Amino acid sequence: MKWYMSAGLIALLCLGLICSFSGVNSQVQAAPAEEQITVLNPLGTPPPITLKPMAPRLDTLDGKTIYIVDDGYIGGDNLLNLMVVWFNENYPNTTALYKRKGGGGFESEDPELWAEIEEKGDAVIIGMGH
Amino acid sequence: MRIPAIALVLSEFYEQEKEKAYNEGMPNIRTQWVLGPVWAKTKEQLKKDVINGVNPISGRPVMQEIVEKFTKPLSEEDKKTGEIKRTKGPLTFTDTEENLHKMFLDKRYTDFLPIVLPTEERVAEMLKGTSRDPDEVIGRMSPTNTGGYFEYWTFTVKDVAINAVMAGCNPEYLPLLLAVASTGKEAISVSDNGFVGALVINGDIRDEIGLNYDVAAVGPYAHANTTIGRAWSLIAINLGNCGKVGTTYMGTIGNPMNLINIVIAENEEKSPYPPFSVRRGFQKGESVVTLFEGWGILSAANWGANRWGSEMDYPQIMKDITAQQGFLFGTCFVLSPPIANFVKERFETMEELEAFLAPAPAFGGGFAKMKPKPSAEGGEPAAKKPMPKGKMPAFGGSSIPIIVTGGSNNNYWSAGGLRPSQSVLIDEWR
Repeated sequence: MKWYMSAGLIALLCLGLICSFSGVNSQVQAAPAEEQITVLNPLGTPPPITLKPMAPRLDTLDGKTIYIVDDGYIGGDNLLNLMVVWFNENYPNTTALYKRKGGGGFESEDPELWAEIEEKGDAVIIGMGH
Repeated sequence: MRIPAIALVLSEFYEQEKEKAYNEGMPNIRTQWVLGPVWAKTKEQLKKDVINGVNPISGRPVMQEIVEKFTKPLSEEDKKTGEIKRTKGPLTFTDTEENLHKMFLDKRYTDFLPIVLPTEERVAEMLKGTSRDPDEVIGRMSPTNTGGYFEYWTFTVKDVAINAVMAGCNPEYLPLLLAVASTGKEAISVSDNGFVGALVINGDIRDEIGLNYDVAAVGPYAHANTTIGRAWSLIAINLGNCGKVGTTYMGTIGNPMNLINIVIAENEEKSPYPPFSVRRGFQKGESVVTLFEGWGILSAANWGANRWGSEMDYPQIMKDITAQQGFLFGTCFVLSPPIANFVKERFETMEELEAFLAPAPAFGGGFAKMKPKPSAEGGEPAAKKPMPKGKMPAFGGSSIPIIVTGGSNNNYWSAGGLRPSQSVLIDEWR
């Protein structure tokens, strides 16, 4: 009785294995080519770029005035005043002027200072925050 | 200015500034990169790191490079003029779903979570949520809250619908998203501060689209709240070019709330006070969304001012928390109905409560203005004048946004720094 039960169990297992193998195989064979779909571009539209020429360079720093402008972010004054000292020591014929930008914030414009620099300056360094 | 100019910028911003220079039409602009930070260093440290230090990008002495950048002649490339036209690229992409998901991820069109692919059919279904022309240009957006620094990208009703599909929104959410997008306010700011956006929603639309404003009102616990918040971030990423680390996102620590933002539908039914939108001049019932930006909110229980006891003086705790908030975004409170009812027992109106709370000085622009100015007579700093009734400040101000939402299952509430900006009628976008 036990012999018959074991044989039957083995036969069932084999049948199961054959079925499962053929099932996997048929799934692979039956898989259709992957379908292609079309989706829409999710981006917004960037504006055109207007190329701007850079300002002509200086032939020398001798006799020139460099404005060194602090945009007002914390600590910028320490660094930029050290820069003034460096120019005084290394380029004694160059005038380096520290200026604190007005306008109420480090991102805002200061038209008066810009006009002064354009009139009296030969070059400008602007110290950004952080 | 037609004179040579050099901007000093920390080298950590190299990628951002190169992109900015390209977009501004001066791709070869002579920026001087320096080792940061500048803020908080002593003069001796600055001398070592910058004045006598090297450009971290080129490895060459900073000051020598500055001199060269002033004096080295321009190349023909440096003198170029003209216009470069740009588009969003191809209008459609065709591939297998798996490849498209990978492409959207690689191109950073997503928030790194799986999205719903925006097929023409799904977008058409989404557009049924509005009567607006799909091709109507409704706004422009850039990655900075103050504007002007980054370029603005423009977008249409259909562009918003595409991103709403990607976020998993239902069509009936679209009018609210169009109202939000029309403001141009980005959900994800470039700022190194790591700001977060917030939406406060009032009126009938709350029930119409199933916004949760009871237990678990704030957070990913309802379909509408979650997907609307996510869509705002996807709109920022794809329609405003926001959130690209290194160029349009520089949050030093980052902010996990940028994923779905802070979406608050007010529990008007259980609030003892008029709805937030009504206090901003709208009619009760009108569907209104108000946009906020700031540090975010967290449980008021985190503040030492929240003195636990068998009897709680919530107005005084609110006042003490207010006194501890910074100047940039002031204070905001999100009260559960039980807390609002406690407060109501002492303050009949929000105006009386706000006056009691005495907010921190508003941001006046620039760190140099952080200290109160002396009065004209030379005495103590003048007290800040209250804002006229009915007017909302453009930036900072004396009003403290107080929102009532959530459940009544316990006495919990949140506080933080969020500043409101525009309030928009949603019905105009249906």
